Amino acid sequence: MRLTVKKLAKAYGFLWALKDLDLDLPPGSFVALLGPNGAGKTTLLKLLASLIMPTAGSIEFDGEPISRNAPKSRAQIGFMTPADHLYENLTVEENLRFFSALYKRHHSSSAIGAALEAIGLAPRAGESVGNLSSGMKCRLSIAKWQLLQPGLLLLDEPYGVLDGKGIDLLESFLQAHCAQGNLAIMASHHVSRALKLCNRAIILHQGRMSFDEAKQQPWPSFARAFSEFLPQGESWNS
Amino acid sequence: MELLTQSYLLLQKDLRLELRRRDSLLTMFFFGTLLLFVFHFSFDVAADKMAEMAPALLWLAFLFTGTLGLAQLFQSERENHCLDALLLSPLDRGALFLAKSGFNLLLMILVELVVMPLFWILFNLSSWNLLPQLFLVTLLGTVGFCVLGTIMSAITLRARARELLLPLVLFPLMIPVLLATIRCMETVLKTGTFNDAAPWLRLLFGFDVIFLTLGVLIFDWVIES
Repeated sequence: MRLTVKKLAKAYGFLWALKDLDLDLPPGSFVALLGPNGAGKTTLLKLLASLIMPTAGSIEFDGEPISRNAPKSRAQIGFMTPADHLYENLTVEENLRFFSALYKRHHSSSAIGAALEAIGLAPRAGESVGNLSSGMKCRLSIAKWQLLQPGLLLLDEPYGVLDGKGIDLLESFLQAHCAQGNLAIMASHHVSRALKLCNRAIILHQGRMSFDEAKQQPWPSFARAFSEFLPQGESWNS
Repeated sequence: MELLTQSYLLLQKDLRLELRRRDSLLTMFFFGTLLLFVFHFSFDVAADKMAEMAPALLWLAFLFTGTLGLAQLFQSERENHCLDALLLSPLDRGALFLAKSGFNLLLMILVELVVMPLFWILFNLSSWNLLPQLFLVTLLGTVGFCVLGTIMSAITLRARARELLLPLVLFPLMIPVLLATIRCMETVLKTGTFNDAAPWLRLLFGFDVIFLTLGVLIFDWVIES
């Protein structure tokens, strides 16, 4: 699994949300996508998910261009936003069955049951998703993408509604996902958590990539690059 | 084949959601029968005159009732950004069009099956023997309404005042279907056969085939633009 992005740009009217972005992610990459509000993180994730079309540039996943007309490449991309992309009036189990069938991953009842058991939602399998809390919906999203097994998983602020156990579930899923050679890109403001997991960090600022490096220990260059986005008086201890 | 399998999967999901919520069907039933009662109290004409007016009045009721259904067509996809979840998946957009058109068609047929006999009862019409033929014509018109309506519903999906915009965009484009269906029903009511209605039937059939094919081909662009 390899992601190649060349000269990617997205404009909303006269405003460039993203400009001249180049990226080459080898198999197993886990990228922490960081930056202040309005830096272009969600725009980049939506472009990679082909939910919006780029103004310029190209995106290739495993040598195949990602576009709205390429269902084969779309099947390889997952986009996880907390508590989103689930049907409220379908039950927990029906949601998993529906999306599995949509992605042509026909899982047995026991596989779906095991996925629900792992996230602690097995007793509520027959309940409507609308009855679940935001954190539980987020856990269900984890189970969903675990079953769908995308090659590239995009995550937009996944930590927001998760409790401690939910965070553990998410992180162990992401580590296993990348250990298999798959890719993950996670936009988050929980910098320390994101940095702990990732093997590469990208900082976006005003639609441009201001930092892109593989993880090091210690990481002074990251501390320098990130310091300007911290609240006044705080510093980053790498 | 893949297109039909995916359409069936989506249609199954929409029917399941409708069975649980019953939003669209109940609203359409209630509004359809309400319109008939309004017509009943508004028009005080002889039964033979009413038979001439029946197709136009019926289609007026179907048009307004169907538009209510169309306004709700993508409601489940609007919640929780589920439309994005569908667009993200490897789903053929044509399958989404077929499923949504099929779903709206099913709802409309159920409403029509109740409204048409009720119209005959309320206005004391005698031509009960012609109801099956009239229903067949209505079915052709309903297919046209649903396929064009689904395209327009998708076009106005992200518009701010979509409930207002949808009828404004849809009704002018529906004129050929309305005209052909009403004229065809009038002919069947007058003559009791389809023979003289053949040109209108051809127009209806052509409209259905053209917009069904067009919908499958362009829905990819329509839903994402």
